[in-house]
Amino acid sequence: MECRDWNERISAYVDGETPAGEVRLVEEHLKGCAACRALELRMRAVALCVSRTEADVPLLFREKLFARMESEDLLAKRRSLFAYSLRWAAIPLAAAAALAFFLLTSTERGGDRQAPSGGNPQVAQRAPANETTTRPSPAAPGGAGELTSEEREIVAHLDVLEDPSAFEDTGEFDEIEIFVPAGSGKG
Amino acid sequence: MRTDEDLMELYRKGSRDAFEELFARHHRKVIHFAYRMTGDQARAEEAAQEIFLRIARAAFTWQPTAKFSTWMYTIARRTTLNYIRDEKEEGNKVPVLPGEEGPDGSPALQLSGPAALNPEEMAWSAEVQERFVEALQSLPESCRSAFVLNRGDGLSYEETAAVLGITIQAVKSRIFRAREMLMESLSGLLP
Repeated sequence: MECRDWNERISAYVDGETPAGEVRLVEEHLKGCAACRALELRMRAVALCVSRTEADVPLLFREKLFARMESEDLLAKRRSLFAYSLRWAAIPLAAAAALAFFLLTSTERGGDRQAPSGGNPQVAQRAPANETTTRPSPAAPGGAGELTSEEREIVAHLDVLEDPSAFEDTGEFDEIEIFVPAGSGKG
Repeated sequence: MRTDEDLMELYRKGSRDAFEELFARHHRKVIHFAYRMTGDQARAEEAAQEIFLRIARAAFTWQPTAKFSTWMYTIARRTTLNYIRDEKEEGNKVPVLPGEEGPDGSPALQLSGPAALNPEEMAWSAEVQERFVEALQSLPESCRSAFVLNRGDGLSYEETAAVLGITIQAVKSRIFRAREMLMESLSGLLP
Protein backbone atom coordinates (compact mmCIF):
# COMPACT_ATOMS: atom_id res chain seq x y z
CA MET A 1 0.00 0.00 0.00
CA GLU A 2 1.35 3.41 -0.97
CA CYS A 3 1.52 6.42 1.35
CA ARG A 4 -1.26 8.16 -0.62
CA ASP A 5 -3.60 5.36 0.41
CA TRP A 6 -2.79 6.00 4.07
CA ASN A 7 -3.60 9.72 4.01
CA GLU A 8 -7.33 9.53 4.66
CA ARG A 9 -6.74 6.97 7.41
CA ILE A 10 -4.17 9.23 9.03
CA SER A 11 -6.67 12.09 8.93
CA ALA A 12 -9.25 9.95 10.74
CA TYR A 13 -6.51 8.77 13.15
CA VAL A 14 -5.70 12.40 14.02
CA ASP A 15 -9.42 12.94 14.73
CA GLY A 16 -9.58 9.85 16.94
CA GLU A 17 -12.04 8.23 14.57
CA THR A 18 -10.03 5.23 13.41
CA PRO A 19 -11.84 1.93 14.02
CA ALA A 20 -10.24 0.00 16.88
CA GLY A 21 -8.98 -2.70 14.57
CA GLU A 22 -7.11 -0.20 12.36
CA VAL A 23 -5.34 1.88 14.99
CA ARG A 24 -2.41 -0.49 15.34
CA LEU A 25 -1.94 -0.65 11.56
CA VAL A 26 -1.86 3.13 11.22
CA GLU A 27 0.58 3.51 14.10
CA GLU A 28 2.90 0.89 12.68
CA HIS A 29 2.93 2.67 9.31
CA LEU A 30 3.65 6.02 10.96
CA LYS A 31 6.57 4.51 12.84
CA GLY A 32 8.19 3.42 9.64
CA CYS A 33 7.35 6.42 7.36
CA ALA A 34 8.89 9.85 7.97
CA ALA A 35 6.78 11.49 5.22
CA CYS A 36 3.54 10.28 6.79
CA ARG A 37 4.71 11.39 10.25
CA ALA A 38 5.31 14.88 8.82
CA LEU A 39 1.88 14.73 7.23
CA GLU A 40 0.32 13.75 10.55
CA LEU A 41 2.00 16.76 12.18
CA ARG A 42 0.63 19.14 9.56
CA MET A 43 -2.83 17.62 9.89
CA ARG A 44 -2.76 18.19 13.65
CA ALA A 45 -1.61 21.78 13.11
CA VAL A 46 -4.53 22.50 10.77
CA ALA A 47 -6.96 21.05 13.30
CA LEU A 48 -5.44 23.26 15.98
CA CYS A 49 -5.87 26.31 13.75
CA VAL A 50 -9.61 25.83 13.41
CA SER A 51 -10.15 25.30 17.12
CA ARG A 52 -8.19 28.48 17.85
CA THR A 53 -10.18 30.52 15.36
CA GLU A 54 -12.72 32.30 17.50
CA ALA A 55 -14.97 35.33 17.14
CA ASP A 56 -15.29 38.05 19.72
CA VAL A 57 -18.44 37.66 21.77
CA PRO A 58 -20.14 41.08 21.62
CA LEU A 59 -20.98 42.69 24.96
CA LEU A 60 -24.63 43.33 24.21
CA PHE A 61 -25.23 40.14 22.24
CA ARG A 62 -27.44 38.62 24.93
CA GLU A 63 -29.43 41.80 25.58
CA LYS A 64 -30.08 42.35 21.87
CA LEU A 65 -31.19 38.77 21.34
CA PHE A 66 -33.48 38.68 24.36
CA ALA A 67 -35.06 42.01 23.41
CA ARG A 68 -35.82 40.65 19.94
CA MET A 69 -37.21 37.46 21.43
CA GLU A 70 -39.43 39.41 23.82
CA SER A 71 -40.72 41.56 20.97
CA GLU A 72 -41.70 38.37 19.13
CA ASP A 73 -43.22 36.83 22.28
CA LEU A 74 -40.64 34.05 22.16
CA LEU A 75 -39.47 34.75 25.69
CA ALA A 76 -41.51 35.50 28.78
CA LYS A 77 -40.73 38.98 30.01
CA ARG A 78 -38.76 39.17 33.23
CA ARG A 79 -40.61 41.33 35.78
CA SER A 80 -38.50 44.08 37.25
CA LEU A 81 -37.83 44.23 40.99
CA PHE A 82 -39.89 47.44 41.10
CA ALA A 83 -42.89 45.71 39.54
CA TYR A 84 -42.56 42.83 42.00
CA SER A 85 -42.26 45.28 44.91
CA LEU A 86 -45.28 47.23 43.74
CA ARG A 87 -47.31 44.07 43.36
CA TRP A 88 -46.55 42.79 46.83
CA ALA A 89 -46.74 46.23 48.44
CA ALA A 90 -50.10 47.13 46.86
CA ILE A 91 -52.28 45.64 49.61
CA PRO A 92 -50.37 47.11 52.58
CA LEU A 93 -50.13 50.46 50.78
CA ALA A 94 -53.85 50.52 50.14
CA ALA A 95 -54.53 49.59 53.76
CA ALA A 96 -52.20 52.35 54.99
CA ALA A 97 -53.85 54.89 52.69
CA ALA A 98 -57.31 53.88 53.91
CA LEU A 99 -56.20 54.14 57.53
CA ALA A 100 -54.64 57.55 56.95
CA PHE A 101 -57.83 58.79 55.27
CA PHE A 102 -59.95 57.47 58.10
CA LEU A 103 -57.75 59.12 60.74
CA LEU A 104 -57.74 62.46 58.94
CA THR A 105 -61.48 62.56 58.38
CA SER A 106 -62.28 61.31 61.89
CA THR A 107 -60.00 64.02 63.35
CA GLU A 108 -61.93 66.69 61.46
CA ARG A 109 -65.27 65.33 62.61
CA GLY A 110 -63.94 64.91 66.14
CA GLY A 111 -62.97 68.62 66.16
CA ASP A 112 -66.51 69.61 65.23
CA ARG A 113 -67.88 67.47 68.00
CA GLN A 114 -65.38 68.53 70.62
CA ALA A 115 -65.55 72.26 70.02
CA PRO A 116 -68.84 72.95 71.79
CA SER A 117 -67.83 70.82 74.80
CA GLY A 118 -64.96 73.14 75.56
CA GLY A 119 -62.01 71.45 73.86
CA ASN A 120 -61.28 74.73 72.13
CA PRO A 121 -63.37 77.38 73.87
CA GLN A 122 -62.59 80.22 71.49
CA VAL A 123 -63.68 78.33 68.42
CA ALA A 124 -66.65 76.80 70.19
CA GLN A 125 -68.02 80.14 71.19
CA ARG A 126 -67.34 81.93 67.94
CA ALA A 127 -68.54 79.40 65.44
CA PRO A 128 -72.29 79.49 66.15
CA ALA A 129 -72.24 83.28 66.18
CA ASN A 130 -70.66 83.36 62.71
CA GLU A 131 -73.19 80.91 61.35
CA THR A 132 -76.04 83.06 62.62
CA THR A 133 -74.72 86.26 61.11
CA THR A 134 -73.64 84.98 57.76
CA ARG A 135 -76.33 82.40 57.11
CA PRO A 136 -79.49 83.27 59.01
CA SER A 137 -82.12 80.61 58.77
CA PRO A 138 -85.71 81.71 58.18
CA ALA A 139 -86.86 78.40 59.67
CA ALA A 140 -85.31 79.14 63.04
CA PRO A 141 -87.36 81.90 64.56
CA GLY A 142 -87.34 83.04 68.13
CA GLY A 143 -84.77 84.32 70.57
CA ALA A 144 -82.40 87.20 70.04
CA GLY A 145 -81.77 86.24 66.43
CA GLU A 146 -85.39 86.32 65.28
CA LEU A 147 -85.82 87.90 61.83
CA THR A 148 -88.30 90.43 60.73
CA SER A 149 -90.48 89.73 57.68
CA GLU A 150 -88.33 92.04 55.54
CA GLU A 151 -85.16 90.27 56.58
CA ARG A 152 -86.75 86.91 55.73
CA GLU A 153 -87.54 88.21 52.26
CA ILE A 154 -83.91 89.28 51.78
CA VAL A 155 -82.68 85.90 52.92
CA ALA A 156 -85.08 84.18 50.52
CA HIS A 157 -83.62 86.22 47.68
CA LEU A 158 -80.10 85.40 48.81
CA ASP A 159 -80.95 81.70 48.58
CA VAL A 160 -82.08 82.22 45.03
CA LEU A 161 -78.80 83.97 44.20
CA GLU A 162 -76.79 81.10 45.65
CA ASP A 163 -78.59 78.74 43.30
CA PRO A 164 -79.16 80.63 40.03
CA SER A 165 -80.86 77.61 38.48
CA ALA A 166 -83.64 77.98 40.98
CA PHE A 167 -84.24 81.52 39.83
CA GLU A 168 -86.97 82.06 37.32
CA ASP A 169 -87.65 85.45 35.90
CA THR A 170 -91.40 85.71 36.32
CA GLY A 171 -91.44 89.39 35.50
CA GLU A 172 -92.81 90.23 38.91
CA PHE A 173 -89.53 91.71 40.17
CA ASP A 174 -86.81 93.77 38.68
CA GLU A 175 -83.21 93.58 39.82
CA ILE A 176 -83.53 96.46 42.24
CA GLU A 177 -86.43 94.77 43.98
CA ILE A 178 -84.32 91.67 44.53
CA PHE A 179 -81.39 93.45 46.18
CA VAL A 180 -83.28 96.21 47.85
CA PRO A 181 -86.38 94.86 49.56
CA ALA A 182 -89.43 97.01 49.64
CA GLY A 183 -89.50 99.31 52.62
CA SER A 184 -85.75 99.28 53.27
CA GLY A 185 -85.37 102.59 51.37
CA LYS A 186 -88.00 104.29 53.46
CA GLY A 187 -86.28 103.94 56.74
CA MET B 1 -27.72 19.10 36.32
CA ARG B 2 -30.40 19.36 33.65
CA THR B 3 -29.62 18.20 30.13
CA ASP B 4 -30.13 20.41 27.08
CA GLU B 5 -33.14 18.29 26.20
CA ASP B 6 -34.69 18.89 29.66
CA LEU B 7 -34.16 22.62 29.22
CA MET B 8 -35.79 22.57 25.81
CA GLU B 9 -38.82 20.85 27.28
CA LEU B 10 -39.02 23.47 30.01
CA TYR B 11 -38.64 26.29 27.49
CA ARG B 12 -41.48 24.84 25.45
CA LYS B 13 -43.60 25.11 28.57
CA GLY B 14 -42.73 28.79 28.81
CA SER B 15 -39.68 28.82 31.08
CA ARG B 16 -37.47 31.83 30.45
CA ASP B 17 -34.80 30.50 32.81
CA ALA B 18 -34.51 27.34 30.72
CA PHE B 19 -33.76 29.30 27.56
CA GLU B 20 -31.31 31.52 29.39
CA GLU B 21 -29.47 28.40 30.55
CA LEU B 22 -29.39 26.98 27.03
CA PHE B 23 -28.11 30.30 25.76
CA ALA B 24 -25.41 30.43 28.42
CA ARG B 25 -24.23 26.96 27.49
CA HIS B 26 -24.17 27.38 23.72
CA HIS B 27 -23.89 30.98 22.63
CA ARG B 28 -20.11 30.99 22.41
CA LYS B 29 -20.08 27.83 20.31
CA VAL B 30 -22.72 29.28 18.00
CA ILE B 31 -20.88 32.59 17.51
CA HIS B 32 -17.56 30.82 16.87
CA PHE B 33 -19.23 28.42 14.46
CA ALA B 34 -20.81 31.31 12.53
CA TYR B 35 -17.47 33.11 12.41
CA ARG B 36 -15.61 30.05 11.11
CA MET B 37 -18.27 29.59 8.46
CA THR B 38 -18.63 33.21 7.35
CA GLY B 39 -15.15 34.52 8.09
CA ASP B 40 -16.59 37.85 9.20
CA GLN B 41 -17.21 39.09 12.74
CA ALA B 42 -20.24 41.27 11.94
CA ARG B 43 -21.90 38.60 9.82
CA ALA B 44 -21.17 36.01 12.48
CA GLU B 45 -22.97 38.14 15.07
CA GLU B 46 -25.97 38.64 12.83
CA ALA B 47 -26.08 34.96 11.94
CA ALA B 48 -25.73 33.89 15.58
CA GLN B 49 -28.66 36.13 16.58
CA GLU B 50 -30.71 34.64 13.80
CA ILE B 51 -29.71 31.11 14.82
CA PHE B 52 -31.05 31.58 18.35
CA LEU B 53 -34.22 33.22 17.06
CA ARG B 54 -34.81 30.28 14.76
CA ILE B 55 -34.17 27.84 17.59
CA ALA B 56 -36.78 29.64 19.67
CA ARG B 57 -39.27 29.85 16.80
CA ALA B 58 -38.83 26.18 15.96
CA ALA B 59 -38.85 24.98 19.56
CA PHE B 60 -42.29 23.45 19.14
CA THR B 61 -41.21 21.41 16.14
CA TRP B 62 -38.24 19.96 17.99
CA GLN B 63 -38.65 16.28 18.75
CA PRO B 64 -37.62 15.39 22.29
CA THR B 65 -35.98 12.24 20.91
CA ALA B 66 -33.46 14.29 18.92
CA LYS B 67 -30.22 15.41 20.49
CA PHE B 68 -30.38 19.14 21.07
CA SER B 69 -26.82 19.93 19.92
CA THR B 70 -27.32 18.09 16.62
CA TRP B 71 -30.54 19.99 16.02
CA MET B 72 -28.91 23.29 17.02
CA TYR B 73 -25.98 22.82 14.61
CA THR B 74 -28.36 21.83 11.82
CA ILE B 75 -30.13 25.17 12.26
CA ALA B 76 -26.80 26.97 12.68
CA ARG B 77 -25.40 25.58 9.43
CA ARG B 78 -28.52 26.37 7.41
CA THR B 79 -28.66 29.89 8.79
CA THR B 80 -25.01 30.65 8.11
CA LEU B 81 -25.37 29.24 4.60
CA ASN B 82 -28.04 31.85 3.94
CA TYR B 83 -25.65 34.56 5.09
CA ILE B 84 -22.85 33.21 2.93
CA ARG B 85 -25.16 33.11 -0.12
CA ASP B 86 -26.33 36.66 0.57
CA GLU B 87 -22.73 37.76 0.82
CA LYS B 88 -21.85 36.15 -2.50
CA GLU B 89 -24.86 37.75 -4.18
CA GLU B 90 -23.84 41.13 -2.85
CA GLY B 91 -20.26 40.58 -4.05
CA ASN B 92 -19.06 41.41 -0.60
CA LYS B 93 -16.09 39.07 -0.48
CA VAL B 94 -13.05 40.46 1.26
CA PRO B 95 -10.42 40.93 -1.44
CA VAL B 96 -6.84 39.72 -1.00
CA LEU B 97 -4.74 42.84 -1.09
CA PRO B 98 -1.52 43.04 -3.10
CA GLY B 99 1.50 42.54 -0.91
CA GLU B 100 -0.10 39.85 1.22
CA GLU B 101 1.68 37.22 -0.79
CA GLY B 102 5.39 36.63 -1.22
CA PRO B 103 7.20 37.09 -4.54
CA ASP B 104 6.67 33.45 -5.45
CA GLY B 105 2.96 33.49 -4.59
CA SER B 106 3.47 31.79 -1.23
CA PRO B 107 2.07 33.50 1.87
CA ALA B 108 4.25 36.34 3.07
CA LEU B 109 3.63 35.39 6.68
CA GLN B 110 5.80 32.51 7.76
CA LEU B 111 6.69 30.87 11.02
CA SER B 112 10.25 29.86 11.59
CA GLY B 113 12.21 28.06 14.28
CA PRO B 114 11.24 25.10 16.47
CA ALA B 115 7.78 26.51 17.23
CA ALA B 116 6.81 25.99 13.62
CA LEU B 117 7.58 22.29 13.91
CA ASN B 118 5.28 21.63 16.84
CA PRO B 119 1.60 22.30 16.26
CA GLU B 120 0.97 22.66 19.99
CA GLU B 121 3.56 25.43 20.23
CA MET B 122 2.67 27.08 16.95
CA ALA B 123 2.58 30.83 17.43
CA TRP B 124 -0.98 32.10 17.18
CA SER B 125 -1.62 35.71 16.42
CA ALA B 126 -4.37 37.82 14.91
CA GLU B 127 -2.38 37.77 11.69
CA VAL B 128 -2.18 34.00 11.60
CA GLN B 129 -5.87 33.73 12.41
CA GLU B 130 -6.70 36.11 9.57
CA ARG B 131 -4.70 34.01 7.14
CA PHE B 132 -6.35 30.84 8.36
CA VAL B 133 -9.88 32.27 8.21
CA GLU B 134 -9.21 33.34 4.65
CA ALA B 135 -8.01 29.87 3.74
CA LEU B 136 -11.05 28.37 5.45
CA GLN B 137 -13.39 30.51 3.36
CA SER B 138 -11.79 29.26 0.17
CA LEU B 139 -12.92 25.69 0.94
CA PRO B 140 -16.07 24.27 -0.65
CA GLU B 141 -18.90 24.70 1.86
CA SER B 142 -19.48 20.95 2.13
CA CYS B 143 -15.89 20.37 3.25
CA ARG B 144 -15.76 23.46 5.46
CA SER B 145 -18.92 22.50 7.35
CA ALA B 146 -17.67 19.01 8.06
CA PHE B 147 -14.23 20.19 9.15
CA VAL B 148 -15.53 23.06 11.30
CA LEU B 149 -18.16 20.91 13.01
CA ASN B 150 -15.65 18.18 13.77
CA ARG B 151 -12.51 20.09 14.63
CA GLY B 152 -13.96 23.44 15.64
CA ASP B 153 -16.99 22.33 17.61
CA GLY B 154 -15.88 18.88 18.64
CA LEU B 155 -18.68 16.89 17.06
CA SER B 156 -17.87 13.27 16.30
CA TYR B 157 -18.00 11.97 12.74
CA GLU B 158 -21.35 10.40 13.58
CA GLU B 159 -22.78 13.67 14.93
CA THR B 160 -21.36 15.61 11.98
CA ALA B 161 -22.98 13.12 9.62
CA ALA B 162 -26.32 13.63 11.39
CA VAL B 163 -26.06 17.43 11.09
CA LEU B 164 -25.09 17.31 7.42
CA GLY B 165 -27.41 14.44 6.55
CA ILE B 166 -24.64 12.33 4.98
CA THR B 167 -22.85 9.08 5.79
CA ILE B 168 -19.93 8.79 8.20
CA GLN B 169 -17.70 7.74 5.31
CA ALA B 170 -18.67 10.92 3.44
CA VAL B 171 -17.75 12.96 6.52
CA LYS B 172 -14.38 11.23 6.69
CA SER B 173 -13.69 12.04 3.02
CA ARG B 174 -14.82 15.68 3.30
CA ILE B 175 -12.65 16.30 6.34
CA PHE B 176 -9.65 14.78 4.64
CA ARG B 177 -10.21 16.92 1.52
CA ALA B 178 -10.58 20.01 3.70
CA ARG B 179 -7.26 19.19 5.37
CA GLU B 180 -5.48 18.69 2.07
CA MET B 181 -6.66 22.03 0.72
CA LEU B 182 -5.86 23.89 3.93
CA MET B 183 -2.38 22.37 4.13
CA GLU B 184 -1.75 23.49 0.60
CA SER B 185 -2.94 27.07 1.09
CA LEU B 186 -1.17 27.39 4.44
CA SER B 187 2.05 25.71 3.45
CA GLY B 188 4.11 28.64 4.69
CA LEU B 189 2.52 28.59 8.11
CA LEU B 190 2.55 24.91 8.87
CA PRO B 191 5.41 22.69 9.99
